Amino acid sequence: MILALVVVTALGFDFTNGFHDTANAMATSIATNALRPKVAVLLSGILNLIGAFLSVEVALTVTNAVVKIQNSNGTPKPELLSNGGTALLLIVLAGLVGGIVWNLLTWLLGLPSSSSHALFGGLIGATIAGLGWAGVNWNGDGSKLDGVIGKVILPAIMSPVIAGVVAAAGTWLIYRVTVGVAARFTDNGFRWGQIGSASLVSLAHGTNDAQKTMGVITLALIAAGDWTDTKNIPLWVKIACALAIALGTYLGGWRIIRTLGKGLVEIAPPQGLAAESASAAVILASSHLGFALSTTHVATGSILGTGVGRPGAEVRWRVAGRLVAAWLITLPAAGVVGAVMWWIGHLIGGVAGAIVVFLILLALAGFMYLRSRRTPVDHNNVNDEWDGELVDETPVPAGKAS
Amino acid sequence: MHNLGFALEGAWKVLVASLILGAGLPMLFALGIRSLAWGAGGDAEVHESGVTGPTPRPAGTIAGWLLFAIVLAGVILGITFIVAGGFGKALSFEHIYPTIVNK
Repeated sequence: MILALVVVTALGFDFTNGFHDTANAMATSIATNALRPKVAVLLSGILNLIGAFLSVEVALTVTNAVVKIQNSNGTPKPELLSNGGTALLLIVLAGLVGGIVWNLLTWLLGLPSSSSHALFGGLIGATIAGLGWAGVNWNGDGSKLDGVIGKVILPAIMSPVIAGVVAAAGTWLIYRVTVGVAARFTDNGFRWGQIGSASLVSLAHGTNDAQKTMGVITLALIAAGDWTDTKNIPLWVKIACALAIALGTYLGGWRIIRTLGKGLVEIAPPQGLAAESASAAVILASSHLGFALSTTHVATGSILGTGVGRPGAEVRWRVAGRLVAAWLITLPAAGVVGAVMWWIGHLIGGVAGAIVVFLILLALAGFMYLRSRRTPVDHNNVNDEWDGELVDETPVPAGKAS
Repeated sequence: MHNLGFALEGAWKVLVASLILGAGLPMLFALGIRSLAWGAGGDAEVHESGVTGPTPRPAGTIAGWLLFAIVLAGVILGITFIVAGGFGKALSFEHIYPTIVNK
């Protein structure tokens, strides 16, 4: 029973992961009209689906980077396994709920925050609540880049800066090279380049992010005694996760797409190409060298970078500041939600506790969905002129909405 | 703070690789577009003096597509890298040209 809730919640997280991150790949292509919004999310969804299937590398140890609920070979810690693994399942469930709630809240506000940070934050919070401070892998063991600091905080500081530098350099070079070339050549050409590079980012996203949920679900299955193989992931888990992330991507987090595509910088096709190429290169280079990073941070850094690199472009630093603020609180905020959820589940206890946590998630998700309907952002108005606010908070009169 | 050391050590590698691929390839792409425009002649290029370019030059068109081909090869390399990583393989550059090897 608890296992079923964990699986459903994990797929729910994967889904929010998808629609939260559509913007990373497609915001620039939508903003420059290289792709029509609906086509862009469809393309991104399909590429995420393909990407998720390509990632057969076992991601079972995904939680080890931040918390100590697994052994290094991927099996759950034995002391958490009494009573059908309830202790571990509750931590995972509470952590996932923390991640989803934070993803939905930032989506409501149109903030591109990192889904990986939301997941890790939720897990850290639930672990602190359940096992105490010592249950968290803060700093690794000194042999390699590890722990909350090494796998989460340092990459979050460095990756946007690197992506920004690369994108700024790319933008500057492109504008230097194409000075004086007629717009009909540049605009069309760069739109194609943009579509190509954005597709690469989508594919990389599918391979990176779907894995995390696959790992979490498989961990839960092992804890509950329904799966023993630590070298492979059940096929149905792979299919379910791939579909969840693709569907989420297709649905499109239009609010976040708007912020990234229109809010930070007014993007022209050459800038879009530079931004997506920089994102793709940084993501691929880092994963090749084994560094965990957040696609969101890279994409945002790249888009800022193209604003800096193009002479005379306007960068809305106030918006950028709010994004950075959102990044800073993502980890602790998702952690607090995760911890509170764990306490609620623990106080009520057993299956009933897990059900209550799940119902709270449904209630919060429903509330935020209804709130979002008051100021809908969808494929029709995603490219409207930027009016200075992240998401327009003035209520739309009934009848005019949607 | 051993983590900081590891991170900085990796960061510059990522920066160099990304500058080559993430800024270099787009520059080649831009050069390709420039060549196409140069090859097309006519009003494709506007010079600062306001004089439009002369008649079509096929060499520019060829150079343009050649540059696009290089960029495309780079992108395909990127996709191969993703796919190979998913199947437990890695791209190796030890023979200069990329080959797929076991991890």
